[in-house]
Amino acid sequence: MIDEANRLKGSFRDPSGFVFFKDNTLFRSVSHLYRDNYDHLIQSGLYDKLVGDGLLISHREATIPVETEKNSYKIIQPEMVPFISYPYEWCFNQLKDAALTVIRIQKQALAYNMSLKDASAYNIQYFKGKPILIDTLSFEIYKENQPWIAYRQFCQHFLAPLAMIAYCDAILSQLMRIFIDGVPLNIASKLLPLTTWLHFGLLTHIHLHAKSQKRYQAKGTAIANSKINKKSLTALIHHLESAIDNIRWKPAGTEWADYYDDTNYTKDDMQHKKRVVGAYINEIKPANVWDLGANTGLFSRIASDLGIDTIAFDVDTAAVEKNYLQMRKNDEKKILPLCLDLTNPSPAIGWANEERFSLAERGPADMVIALALIHHLAVSNNLPLGHLADYFSRLCRFLIIEFVDKKDSQVQRLLLNREDIFLHYTRQDFENAFGSYFSILKSKDIGNTKRTLYLMKNLGEKYNVSGWSKRHG
Amino acid sequence: MTTRKSVFVLILTFVTQHLMSQNVFAYLDPGTGSYIFQVLIATIVAGLFAIKMFWQKIKGFFLNNFFKKKQG
Repeated sequence: MIDEANRLKGSFRDPSGFVFFKDNTLFRSVSHLYRDNYDHLIQSGLYDKLVGDGLLISHREATIPVETEKNSYKIIQPEMVPFISYPYEWCFNQLKDAALTVIRIQKQALAYNMSLKDASAYNIQYFKGKPILIDTLSFEIYKENQPWIAYRQFCQHFLAPLAMIAYCDAILSQLMRIFIDGVPLNIASKLLPLTTWLHFGLLTHIHLHAKSQKRYQAKGTAIANSKINKKSLTALIHHLESAIDNIRWKPAGTEWADYYDDTNYTKDDMQHKKRVVGAYINEIKPANVWDLGANTGLFSRIASDLGIDTIAFDVDTAAVEKNYLQMRKNDEKKILPLCLDLTNPSPAIGWANEERFSLAERGPADMVIALALIHHLAVSNNLPLGHLADYFSRLCRFLIIEFVDKKDSQVQRLLLNREDIFLHYTRQDFENAFGSYFSILKSKDIGNTKRTLYLMKNLGEKYNVSGWSKRHG
Repeated sequence: MTTRKSVFVLILTFVTQHLMSQNVFAYLDPGTGSYIFQVLIATIVAGLFAIKMFWQKIKGFFLNNFFKKKQG
């Protein structure tokens, strides 16, 4: 039975249906209100076309439980996306590709006499390396002369944040974390440099659009007479596409993007580290991996190349950008680069803080990899080792973690201009702290470095029941 | 000034004159302004698109009928 407890909390905005979990399986209920639209989507061939083009998640129709027949026209079971990511975790080109995907879908929809009734960035997910629409109920039958309902949302969710990354600063992608329905256009217009008034796409869809919003915000103007013929609507969609296409951003001068050229390893040490990480992964064969502090994904690819769904998180948007472009170029399907500041990870946001999940709520991962990371958290961010062990134990079942000794030149660099207050940052303290939450299965010193690679297993009871990996993979 | 730039400035002037001469009041309906603006801007870009197509046709006509003949 579908009850409120099984219903996804963020699934309340659209009366066309809602998403719920039953026996660990995701379903979407299609309401009777949406009947004609759903039938048109399927019967017109639009569904097949979009699924065939990899633009819409596929689904199968499931049996409707008798007790819900009154409320549901259909129950559909969509293909599961292994990891739900959010626009504030995407790099520039991920957001741009997501925007272009929405445009492609809207073009196809119009060709099949339908239109997207929303353009939320949260409805796009990365699946098998590509952006894809996961909300099957986003379409409505096109009504002659009707403008695009989702125009404002598209500008707020895609165009404004892309422009702000490109013309202000990459960090402004984080505005999506504050504004759940996208960046308000008056704010974008205020923050964007004057030169963007010369960019025709941004001039129209952000600056003048924002002015228009202001002009009409106090007036109860009826919009029933506002009409656009299909030709004009198509021209508008093309114009939005070219506006998006013309926004470009290239990272430069960031901290980590050249990290692999700035290590204190020798070539042999690096090869040794790769071999040890590979051996640990092969021994556990995890169902999925989160690589925290992945940089451009060198070690993440040890897992993803083995066919393991791998998320490569990094705080540096430039490194994530590089990783994503490499992934896209090589058509990799098992790795997903994402931006994440581990000292302030993605929180739960939205209504009652239940619409979008925190990082921990989207886990736990079967395995977390944390290489060359702990000294940054412990020394640069003053995090006690006990706090680190506690949080990692909430994120994963297995952990590959590298301890970097205080004598290591990279740690020395962090301590260069500050007092060494880290009396409890020793290998023994590290093993004691993590030993409270994990059992240490293996440890290996890396070549001639001051670094040790550990393989650990979570001591938590829930991780030590049979079949865990199968259920959570 | 190129034709493209002139068209751009004309549109800019028209739209800004039309939209910016109004007083601003408190928030009421954030969708209304977007909706009405969309109608305006869609009509303009559709017009520009039509002009562009028309121009290309004329260009194509002259290129095909005169330039190629000259070459031949």
